[in-house]
Amino acid sequence: MANYRKKALAVAVAASMSVALAACGSGSSNSPSASGKGGGTLTYYVRSTYDHNDPQRTYLGVELANWNRMVYRSLVSFPMSSDPAVAAKPVPDLATDTGTSSDNAKTWKFTVKDGVKWQDGKPITCEDFKYGASRVFATDVITGGPNYILTYLDVPLDPKTGLPAYKGPYTTANNDVAAFNKAITCDGNTITYHFKKPWPDFPLAVASLHMMDPYRKDKDQGDKSNYQIFSNGPYELQGAWDKEKGGTFVRNPNYDPATDSTDIRKALPSKIIFDIGKTSEQITDQLIADRGADQGAVTQQSIPSSKFSQITGAVADRSVSVESPFVDYLVPNMKRLTNPVVRQAIAVATDDTGWVAAGGGPKSYKPATDIVNPAVSGYQSDLFPGGGGDPAKAKALLTSAGVKMPYPITYSYPSTPTADTQARALQAGWEKAGFKVTLDGVADSDTYYTNIQEPDQTADLDWAGWGADWPSAITVTAPLFDSRPNLTANSNGQDYGAYKSDAFNALVDQAQASASIADQTKYLQQADQVLAKDVAYIPLDIPIFFMLHGSKVMNYTTDPASSSYPELGAIDVSSSVK
Amino acid sequence: MYAYVARRMITGVLMLILMSMITFVLFFASPVDPGRFACGKNCSPALIKQVDKAFGYDKSVVVQWKDFAVGVFKGRQYPEDPSLRKSAPELVSDCHAPCLGYSQVNLINVTTELKDKIPISGSIAVAAFLMWIIGGVGLGTIAALTKGSLIDRGLVGTSLVFYAFPTFWIGLFLLEFPAIKWGLVPIPNYISIADGGLWGWASNLFLPALTLALFYMAGYVRMTRAFVLESMSEDYLRTAKSKGLAPRKVLFKHTMRAALTPIVTMAGLDLASVLGGAVITETVFNYNGLGKLAVDSIATFDLPTVVGLVLLLAAFVIVANIVVDILYAFIDPRVRLG
Repeated sequence: MANYRKKALAVAVAASMSVALAACGSGSSNSPSASGKGGGTLTYYVRSTYDHNDPQRTYLGVELANWNRMVYRSLVSFPMSSDPAVAAKPVPDLATDTGTSSDNAKTWKFTVKDGVKWQDGKPITCEDFKYGASRVFATDVITGGPNYILTYLDVPLDPKTGLPAYKGPYTTANNDVAAFNKAITCDGNTITYHFKKPWPDFPLAVASLHMMDPYRKDKDQGDKSNYQIFSNGPYELQGAWDKEKGGTFVRNPNYDPATDSTDIRKALPSKIIFDIGKTSEQITDQLIADRGADQGAVTQQSIPSSKFSQITGAVADRSVSVESPFVDYLVPNMKRLTNPVVRQAIAVATDDTGWVAAGGGPKSYKPATDIVNPAVSGYQSDLFPGGGGDPAKAKALLTSAGVKMPYPITYSYPSTPTADTQARALQAGWEKAGFKVTLDGVADSDTYYTNIQEPDQTADLDWAGWGADWPSAITVTAPLFDSRPNLTANSNGQDYGAYKSDAFNALVDQAQASASIADQTKYLQQADQVLAKDVAYIPLDIPIFFMLHGSKVMNYTTDPASSSYPELGAIDVSSSVK
Repeated sequence: MYAYVARRMITGVLMLILMSMITFVLFFASPVDPGRFACGKNCSPALIKQVDKAFGYDKSVVVQWKDFAVGVFKGRQYPEDPSLRKSAPELVSDCHAPCLGYSQVNLINVTTELKDKIPISGSIAVAAFLMWIIGGVGLGTIAALTKGSLIDRGLVGTSLVFYAFPTFWIGLFLLEFPAIKWGLVPIPNYISIADGGLWGWASNLFLPALTLALFYMAGYVRMTRAFVLESMSEDYLRTAKSKGLAPRKVLFKHTMRAALTPIVTMAGLDLASVLGGAVITETVFNYNGLGKLAVDSIATFDLPTVVGLVLLLAAFVIVANIVVDILYAFIDPRVRLG
């Protein structure tokens, strides 16, 4: 998953994350005028283009969720529920059950349901699932998608490249096809996955990502298939997808609701139009005006703070405010802030309350106390104090560290007008505690992330953001702080602060070797405590999604399975909106 | 004249070659690794290396530029892996000459990508051009002829206001109020003539073209006024008037002909630059033309698209320059090409 704001800042694109599980604040609404018969046309506004529609290449949480409800069914899926505990438990979708594991969760077996079909009426087979998984290994063609299976599936590594010896379905040269055929086997409708290490939360990964989805070999054109959508869900794409404008989805005549569950998708609108490219401001203006097709519109874009004052009265009734599945945090540079007491002083002096207020207040952010989102298993509420900071205590810590005061630190962050204001709020708190703060706002967010990945970066503190790939801390702390896959001579990878801890890595190893989710969670929580003790990060906030919808949208809801975006499995539109 | 045009064309081609080289060098000077960008999230260094190799980013800048140049004349295939062409030919895309490269971000060859965008930017540019030339020259002439009057002062003052307002403000105003809030005109959405007919195309084009035209029109009003006034003070015009020539003939045959010469130069270059994409207007109205493509491709570090756009825009300007020089000779007999 990812530093979710990276793209957002670069091309005004939103975050990356798959399913994630935000606890919903007020995640649903039924506007007063949303009465009458449903089955109308839903318009879904999106600001930025979708990079991929190919199931094996899709990685953004909102896209994963939308396609799951509309066109790409998985072996198992997350149900629609505002209860995080229920929402994080996969239910059968294309499979008959949620899978059975053996050999310490190193082998997983699923049986594909009878009667499930592609949009052309052909049955979905075990071989389609196997072919879909094989595409992930073609890392030079199927780029950009989640690739966890590369490290889990029991396929030997090529000693020359360090990558799997199996190179996907497109090449025959030096390709260990036999190893792949041994690692994933089909017996009638039953598919079996063999992993080299335990994967107790494999069903969570299947439900969150489309990495393991079926794919029809005869429809595969590699890179050319990127925007093609060959559906097995309740809708199918009418005509072609226009990357810059979107597309229209109509009912898939070969979809049989009897093979599906209304816990996963109800498929109520008769047509869904994806409208891409308008700015958040224009989308908000159109939804406030609430005319014509906009009465049946929803959006994944949050209301810009410049429009907050217009969200009053009847318009406010059509708005929802929900916690996102992301967490923003600070990363101390371990090569520069080598004294742990100094890092503790920074953490204690961090004015989280001021940071949130400067960012637009509770409509925009909520203070965070853990890098793990509250809806992700492994979350702990008391790792960091949060709040307004304690400059006096921080000053005492800094004095006890025996360093010269004021202690100079540089804070680097991707610069926007809001981020600049927030940076000044942090600066004020730190300077009260005896630090001398230099702010280093970087205008270009891509350059920013490249900079903080440099092993010799000169900032003491960096801003970063993250969301879980599936509702487990294994997709949060391990990819961010395990030094082994991250730190190389040329890059810090995603371990921006170059944090290195044998104790932490050992706990990650234990978590990854665990055959049960409970054990895995236990080790991950201990690992997170090591991070907190070392001040490897300082949590800042959970961004809030503040979204608006049209007056004739019915059953509007968001939930953890929809990554806190509009839940397309439940939403309906009045039949008066054609 | 033919020799002159040929010489200018050769110079233009050399300039295009130089510009493509500069763009390549600038791209490689950037600290952003395009392979990392294309690879996506959670990519190990080994995976990034593989993506760099697959996309050719591991080659030197000289080799990449040479491949690009060959593609312009001979065409290319993507991906360029010969083993893939053998094992999975359906994956390979042909990019026929003149091939400007393949965008790994938009997954389309750049020539096709630009061809799709030219009608959109061209529509806005031509519609706006007609508005600003007719409005700007017409109103500028009226202001000059009524110098010192209320009409003159009103026109000059109004044009100053429109010139001072940034294009994005005018665009946002027109979009927000007449289109969204008041619902007087449809929210602009580019429709080609083939899809929406002439009325559908023109009605959707009105606000974006007006946004662009108002800025230029304001400048042209002031320029035309100044040039016409300057021409009107020439001795030969006094002579023409004293000879008893009809005022209309004095204006159109003698005054405007001289005043138009510098305006033609400006108009040609301005049209060429907006043909290459009206970045702000296209962004505000979500018209996916060359300007918006430029913004997006820079943000996503899409080198092939950036190079293609730079060359196309440069070609527009070079061709416009040549056309303007030729027109000059027709408008002003004192100018001779050679």
